[in-house]
Amino acid sequence: MFQATVRRRLVLAGFMGLAMCGTAAVTRALAAEDVVIGVIQPLSGPNAQFGIGSQRGAELAAEMINAAGGIKALGGAKISLVMADVPTPATAAAATQRLISQNNVSAVIGAFVSSTTLAASEVTERAGIPLVTFAFADQITERGYKYVFQVSPKGTVFGEAQFNSAIEIAKAAGDKIEKVAILYEDTAYGTAQAKGLRAAATKAGVQVVLDEAYPLGITDVSPLVNKLRASGAQMAFPVSYLNDGLLIIRALRQQQIDIPVVGGAAGYIIPDFKKGLGEYAEGVLSVAAASGDLIPELAAKYKEKYGTFITHEALIHAAALDAVVQAIEKAKSKDPEKIRDALATLDYCAGFARGVPGGCVKFDANGLNASAFPIMVQWRGDEPVTVYPPKAAKQKPVWAGKPVP
Amino acid sequence: MGRQAGALNRIPVAAPSPAGEGFLLPIPVDIMLQSLIDGILLGGVYGVIATGLSLVFGVLGVVNFAQAEFLMLGMYVAWFAWRYLGLDPLLGSVLSFVVVFVVGYLVQRLLIARVLKAPPAAQVFLTVGLLIVLENAALMLFGSDFRSVSVPYQVQGFRLGDIFVGAPYLYAFAAALFLSAALWLFLDRSWTGRAIRAVAQDPMAATLTGVDTRLTYGVAFGLGVALTAFGGAVILPYITVSPTIGGQFVVVMFTVVVLGGLGSVAGALAGGLVVGIVQSVSTLFFPIQLQNLCLFVIFIAVLALRPQGLIKGA
Amino acid sequence: MRAKLTPGLVLLLLFFVAAALLPFYVDPRGHVLRVAAMALLFAALAQSWNIVGGLANQISLGHAAFFGIGAYTSTLLYLRLGISPWLGLVAGAALAGLAAALLSLPTFRLKGHYFALATLAFAEVMRVIANSWAGLTGGPVGLSIPFVGSQPLNFAFRAVSSYYWIILGLLVLVCLVFRLLASGAIGYRLRAVRENEAAAEVAGVDTFRVKLTASVISAALTAVCGSVFAQFTFFFDPDSIFSLAGVSVRMAMIAIVGGLGTLAGPIIGALFLIPLEEAANAVLSSKAAGLSQLVFGAILIAAILIQPRGIMAYWPKRWSRRAAPAAVPHTEPALAKGSQ
Repeated sequence: MFQATVRRRLVLAGFMGLAMCGTAAVTRALAAEDVVIGVIQPLSGPNAQFGIGSQRGAELAAEMINAAGGIKALGGAKISLVMADVPTPATAAAATQRLISQNNVSAVIGAFVSSTTLAASEVTERAGIPLVTFAFADQITERGYKYVFQVSPKGTVFGEAQFNSAIEIAKAAGDKIEKVAILYEDTAYGTAQAKGLRAAATKAGVQVVLDEAYPLGITDVSPLVNKLRASGAQMAFPVSYLNDGLLIIRALRQQQIDIPVVGGAAGYIIPDFKKGLGEYAEGVLSVAAASGDLIPELAAKYKEKYGTFITHEALIHAAALDAVVQAIEKAKSKDPEKIRDALATLDYCAGFARGVPGGCVKFDANGLNASAFPIMVQWRGDEPVTVYPPKAAKQKPVWAGKPVP
Repeated sequence: MGRQAGALNRIPVAAPSPAGEGFLLPIPVDIMLQSLIDGILLGGVYGVIATGLSLVFGVLGVVNFAQAEFLMLGMYVAWFAWRYLGLDPLLGSVLSFVVVFVVGYLVQRLLIARVLKAPPAAQVFLTVGLLIVLENAALMLFGSDFRSVSVPYQVQGFRLGDIFVGAPYLYAFAAALFLSAALWLFLDRSWTGRAIRAVAQDPMAATLTGVDTRLTYGVAFGLGVALTAFGGAVILPYITVSPTIGGQFVVVMFTVVVLGGLGSVAGALAGGLVVGIVQSVSTLFFPIQLQNLCLFVIFIAVLALRPQGLIKGA
Repeated sequence: MRAKLTPGLVLLLLFFVAAALLPFYVDPRGHVLRVAAMALLFAALAQSWNIVGGLANQISLGHAAFFGIGAYTSTLLYLRLGISPWLGLVAGAALAGLAAALLSLPTFRLKGHYFALATLAFAEVMRVIANSWAGLTGGPVGLSIPFVGSQPLNFAFRAVSSYYWIILGLLVLVCLVFRLLASGAIGYRLRAVRENEAAAEVAGVDTFRVKLTASVISAALTAVCGSVFAQFTFFFDPDSIFSLAGVSVRMAMIAIVGGLGTLAGPIIGALFLIPLEEAANAVLSSKAAGLSQLVFGAILIAAILIQPRGIMAYWPKRWSRRAAPAAVPHTEPALAKGSQ
């Protein structure tokens, strides 16, 4: 009895000890000349798939930059990435603070999910650390924050591009679209992009016959598809992650509704989309922030290393890391304040920035990459290819089974 | 989108039906009927998934928060069976049932059995810990990929006038009915089934009549999670599996069980149908976004009026 | 009844003094202090929960509803009307108390698991409302508290240490309320309800009123924690503030791992679990996705298996002048009578 009690106390003390010293263990010093950059991504939880893709992009970029001689302005200093898992917005503040005060990061990149990025940006802004992100809810760059930089356009701009490009492709193919449906998940990303879709439709004089938000993680889309069927829409614009995207397309097939579906990035352009839909993925259009065919050498390296095509989140995070590196080259310092100033005046059209449509990274007063624009990709075999706008396109779009002239 | 050669004939999408048509309801009859059918098909599967949870509670008195993680496990087993053995998930579901039964039995004997006499709060939070472990173990073992099977009937549907029924939904519903019937036979006719019911009613008396309660608890828990895993496997043709899929079912599952009356197997099936129909029909009157709001308001109201659930003594 | 200074109370006072001095010994803007502040905030939350969960044994799994009501009320009043969060915090507490009273009407008759699941559904209802009613709440994007530098009157400070002391003050307040309730008349009534509700009723206890009082006070305190949380993290969204796993379950779990119904339990539970989780994240989250959460879950299971009554069960009884109330009534596993 006595022994059992003692043992339990020891175990307990062990747990306490672990809890106490754990935080100290990470403070171990890195080689003095390394430049430490924080990467926060959702590596567990429902968005892990996207977070891991994003992290791989940053990792590969760091590897390639280090292999090419590191940061020249700092005598060939190497990039060292510190990763933190931020599955939810609630975890973002503590994790970001940890990177800043324990790891002394010079900058932070991440966090794919808009709400998590908003949470992290509150910490980086107050600590004066630049945050370079891919997340694109409009609020991220609308708060006038000085330390937030976004490599891709805003969510509403994505929504507008999703609508306008699709309408123009249809027009070129001789289809006149008068009624459309907007379906979106009720997240920061879904609502921002739906807002852009709605605005573009109003501007184009196209009637939105169905405008429906649905809960994140919906498992039965029958009501949605019933409403879509009854609405008489000629084209559907879903904005969703993967599972709901697959559900919607399959349910349309089951009900033999053959209207075009134009996806809103995220779930529509990852390898699992093709794996889930097989032949039914062929020809699906989606808006995207970037595509591997814009920068084939990076795409090839990625495929060699990870076995799948480079997703747009991986590519944009590679460009985000490169932007930070270029800012450090320009500032000739790893001081966060100086890096911020260099980012604000950066005008970089080489390296991984070439993978961003527009080919450059150049931030405006709000920290938005002014030269970037969304593209339209279309599934061909195992990968999406860029089909619109013509200035970025690698192939002609296909509409209703026929190539568009 | 490219049209699949010969796969589908382009049918015109129905024009918005004239509302009313002389009925009191502003919803046309065919749309109402369509929603009802969708709700029933969905609810049958909810029923079988929740039956497992109800069984675990009824016999062990433990509210298992990790129950939905066994749904996830069942889906993974069926996915691997499809990928490497070429088994259709409807058949793979049997394998899911067996594998998860074994896992569940072990979990009960090694973990749950130790807290059966502990305060209920400790039991609940043991299962919360189990939930965290299972979800993240799946993430480490299987990765974060959304895995999906492809079977021919996935994109097929049946059409009856203006009513559409998706084939995978119909098959999943049929499988759920089949399993429920089998469960009823098992609990009613087999010795083990009767032992489970005996232990649920009075563990002490059951022991006196020669029932090995410890074994029975293990079997009941294994059976409970296996039922849920089976439900997961049969929906695999229309839902992708990822480590966090359980989270999307957990709250609905509890709603079903409580509506049916905690611990009542028949109640869980009825509760499943109620939840499926409420979720489906409510979208005719409210935005889909508020689907679960409607469900939970009804849930709280039912509890207020009938604190033991809708079906009492079923 | 005035309690004498028991060793437990002395230790608790010493703990508060040590906690108050902590910012002088660690980086006042850094990570350690932020984690410590979060641990204290969750201790306060768990203590608020302990009022219904521990004293009345009403296991609520929906306290995130009140947490979110507090956060939304103070933040919206501040952002839309410019009302200081110090006042908004009071408004949030009042609103949460009202919500708890309204929720009591349909749920007060419910027992055990039915009560737990009804409260869980209530928090989900609040989450869906916050998510969908974008005109009022800002919708799924969440709310950001603008960065205004140091404005103490508007609950805005530069240093983490300021927030830390406020949170510590909140914890002391919640502990005082708990102690007053537990040792006062209402505490005895609550315990009577916990041990045997029917008997308490017969003995003349107005069980509805007692439970109502406890849940209103508990909800109001939870809401204050919510307002403070919003100010401290500067950002929240419906999914994280009304989270089942992140808030409702966590606050209950802390109280249970520490010791249900005891004064020190929630503090010990929070000081154990929150730094543990953070340490697991810091050390393991870059190793393999999911590993840190896996370890956290495994330790949680181990903690409950080793001592289902919580860490406070190791507290030597003779040190307390009055034996700590037995954590939970010793009941048989509630077997469903509905499954014949």
